[in-house]
Amino acid sequence: MIEQIIFWLLSTVLILSALGTVGMTDAVNSVMCLLAAMLALAGLYALLGAHVVALFQIIIYIGAVMVLFLFVIMLLDLKKTMKLLSLRSFSGGFGVIFVCLVGIIAWLFRHAAVSVTETCGLPAVFLTRNIHDIALALFSRHLLVFELASVLLLVATIGAIVMTRK
Amino acid sequence: MGIDHFIGLGIILFSIGVIGFLIRSNVIVLLLSVELMLNAVNFLFVVFSRFVHGGSTGQIYVFIIMTVAAAEVAVGLAIIVNLYRRFRTLDVSRVNLLKG
Repeated sequence: MIEQIIFWLLSTVLILSALGTVGMTDAVNSVMCLLAAMLALAGLYALLGAHVVALFQIIIYIGAVMVLFLFVIMLLDLKKTMKLLSLRSFSGGFGVIFVCLVGIIAWLFRHAAVSVTETCGLPAVFLTRNIHDIALALFSRHLLVFELASVLLLVATIGAIVMTRK
Repeated sequence: MGIDHFIGLGIILFSIGVIGFLIRSNVIVLLLSVELMLNAVNFLFVVFSRFVHGGSTGQIYVFIIMTVAAAEVAVGLAIIVNLYRRFRTLDVSRVNLLKG
């Protein structure tokens, strides 16, 4: 029951923040809305029992990608964008949404996953072995893809440095 | 709360990304819309690996897609910085270098 409430709550936040990402006129507000969408998605991943994906979602998307977006917006020194007045009127709402989402995710990590596992008919061992299975599969069967991803990251890093150099 | 709800949510998310990519002209918002679409695909991968496959192979693909998305954002933002230096605007409709 509580999982259904959390599902509908997270879906509502996700769709509203996705619409805000598309609809906001200010780029900073769009990035903030996408950040809320990423947090809601991380909550949904935790609800689905994919805790590792939820953590990577928070670390990679919120910690790296969104910060990169904000950094570039700051770097471009857009006169309209950097006038943060429109952000300030929203910042209280953003703060409340972020705190609620983080609370929901923490609660899911603690409680909900096991009961969802039971309702979905999967064995409870699925959760405890999840990270173990992922690590084994990533470093044995999908090792080539893993190495290719690291090469891709290296190429992207060098490419970004070369392109932004004056 | 079956698989249908999750699939519908992923489809709605992807559609919002597509619509945003088509109707907006700010190049940063275009990149954000692409991120939205990639996240919808990630979400569907996790849902299917959970409900249909029952294993963790789908989550491996999610990690790979996240890596590709991070690389895409790095290169895309570098292009945006160059675009802004060249044209002093972020409006893609005013970037018409290839227009005949």
